[in-house]
Amino acid sequence: MKQLRRNMRVVKELIRLRFQNLMMFRLGFFGPFFVDGSLFCIQILVFQAVYANVERIGSWEKGEMMLYIGTFSLLNAVNMMIYFFGVNAIPYKIKSGDMDLYLTKPISPLLRLSLEQVNPGSVPLIIMSILIITYGVQTAGIRISPGKLVWYLFWLVIMQVLYYEMEVIIRAISFYITSATSFVQLEEAALGLCMQLPGIAFYGIYKVIFYVILPYGIMATIPVQSIAGEMTAKTAVFGIGIVCIFSAITYLIWINGKKHYNSASS
Amino acid sequence: MNVIETKDLTKTYKRFKKKEGLRGSLEGLWKREYEEKTAVSHMDLEIAKGEFVGLIGPNGAGKTTLIKMLTGIIAPTSGSIDVLGFYPNDLKNKFKEQYAVVMGQKSQLFFELTVNDTLRLFKEIYGISEQVYQKNKEFYTELFDVKGLMDVQVRTLSLGERMKMELIVALLHNPQILFLDEPTIGLDAIAAKQMRRFLKEVNEEKGTTILLTSHYMEDIKSLCERSIVINHGAKIYDGNTQELFHKYQRNKKLTVSFEKPVDDFEMPEGAVILEESPMKKVFRINLETVNATMHDIMRYEPIDITIEEDEIGTVVERIYQEGSVKHA
Repeated sequence: MKQLRRNMRVVKELIRLRFQNLMMFRLGFFGPFFVDGSLFCIQILVFQAVYANVERIGSWEKGEMMLYIGTFSLLNAVNMMIYFFGVNAIPYKIKSGDMDLYLTKPISPLLRLSLEQVNPGSVPLIIMSILIITYGVQTAGIRISPGKLVWYLFWLVIMQVLYYEMEVIIRAISFYITSATSFVQLEEAALGLCMQLPGIAFYGIYKVIFYVILPYGIMATIPVQSIAGEMTAKTAVFGIGIVCIFSAITYLIWINGKKHYNSASS
Repeated sequence: MNVIETKDLTKTYKRFKKKEGLRGSLEGLWKREYEEKTAVSHMDLEIAKGEFVGLIGPNGAGKTTLIKMLTGIIAPTSGSIDVLGFYPNDLKNKFKEQYAVVMGQKSQLFFELTVNDTLRLFKEIYGISEQVYQKNKEFYTELFDVKGLMDVQVRTLSLGERMKMELIVALLHNPQILFLDEPTIGLDAIAAKQMRRFLKEVNEEKGTTILLTSHYMEDIKSLCERSIVINHGAKIYDGNTQELFHKYQRNKKLTVSFEKPVDDFEMPEGAVILEESPMKKVFRINLETVNATMHDIMRYEPIDITIEEDEIGTVVERIYQEGSVKHA
């Protein structure tokens, strides 16, 4: 409990420092709003191009697809805002030996690394994603009850955890090998595909890959199924099971990775 | 009471040996040859509470690897290690709260912000109470004479000032052990001297155990009563610092410059000439003949004389050649 309270105070201080750091340079503070906003618009244009002539995918019509796009964008925006830049720096910190400074402090190195580069520039993306989700719900004619909303939020939270774990696993590989660049490229390709195609579009071996091995295919699909009333008990168990398995894998890779760490020659 | 104890501590690294050229790279894809490099070899070490110990050795001797094992950054390959009752590589927070490490080539400060901002983060990381935080901050800013620099952007500080700040950040939580890896690297003579004075005060006033690695003889000589010399990962001397230098630092290097060319310069007896021109003579002489040599040289009316001591590498080489391992 004492450690948790200390962690919370450190997180607060890290966020405060990050904001102060960004505000030292006006362009550094306002620039990301423009850059992230532009990237978001490009993403929406890609979706529009892909789905302009597609009326339905499986049981999903335009409304559900819109909901899917909004949900994936929201997961991605939260990722960009809270932990992406911090987690993304892990391979560099390992390679350069900067990890030394994190390992010698009485606070979880992963917690500190994950939250030391929050990016307020992604806040507008969260707002825009929520607007797309709202539009998708209306288009699909889904009636939202408080229970459904809580259920949807629950899945959003645990899929956000899964998203985070995938990022950590891929970058923590740097503890074991010299370069994890190709794994990061694989992640980018898989994410790019799954952002455009919902999980229900995958069959056979592709379903195994994007549901079990690189579970990007379920990250937005399961929350949409939960709000659209399409979720079966089997899907729910599967979703929770996958998150638990990847939590265990992340824990093992990180803990053993720290033991493997050889620092860098000074 | 010992705060650091190691027995047979060894660290080996596996290094990939690539054959030359593209063919070697292609072969390396299928069959790799590795060689083992021993960075620290069978090191037995005992350091008592409150000691100020110098760790000396040439580049690649294993000093930094030893510090990294003692702080838990890397795991030893074999042997036992106990620091403050903990196995460092378990990386327990309780252990990390009790020591601090300053690496001359790595900074913990936020360059765009002020030192006060960084200190606030460290206050939370170490869970320091507001009262202790204010008291320690006051003590160290006064000791290091940096009160006026606490609200200045770190990037605008000089290297010497930044190093003082690194020490304040490290000492804020009253660590029992302070590991210093080349803290004076790159500092000018005045800044290095100041740094030595502060470290001495921290050791005496707070009773902090300090383990210092340095390339500079002066750091070790003026600060550490006990020195440990390591070479190729093994300990070759462990004992009194004064005795070490008295026994192994036998020569001085003299650089003598003249205003006008001097052609009839007589080299002192036993001198080893390192560089010679009509305007400048550089030579090495035995420590005991320095006074007499200086007296002789004055008759050539030199404009400048520089006297340098044997470098760490030379001292280490001498100990190594004579095979003298002394234990405290």
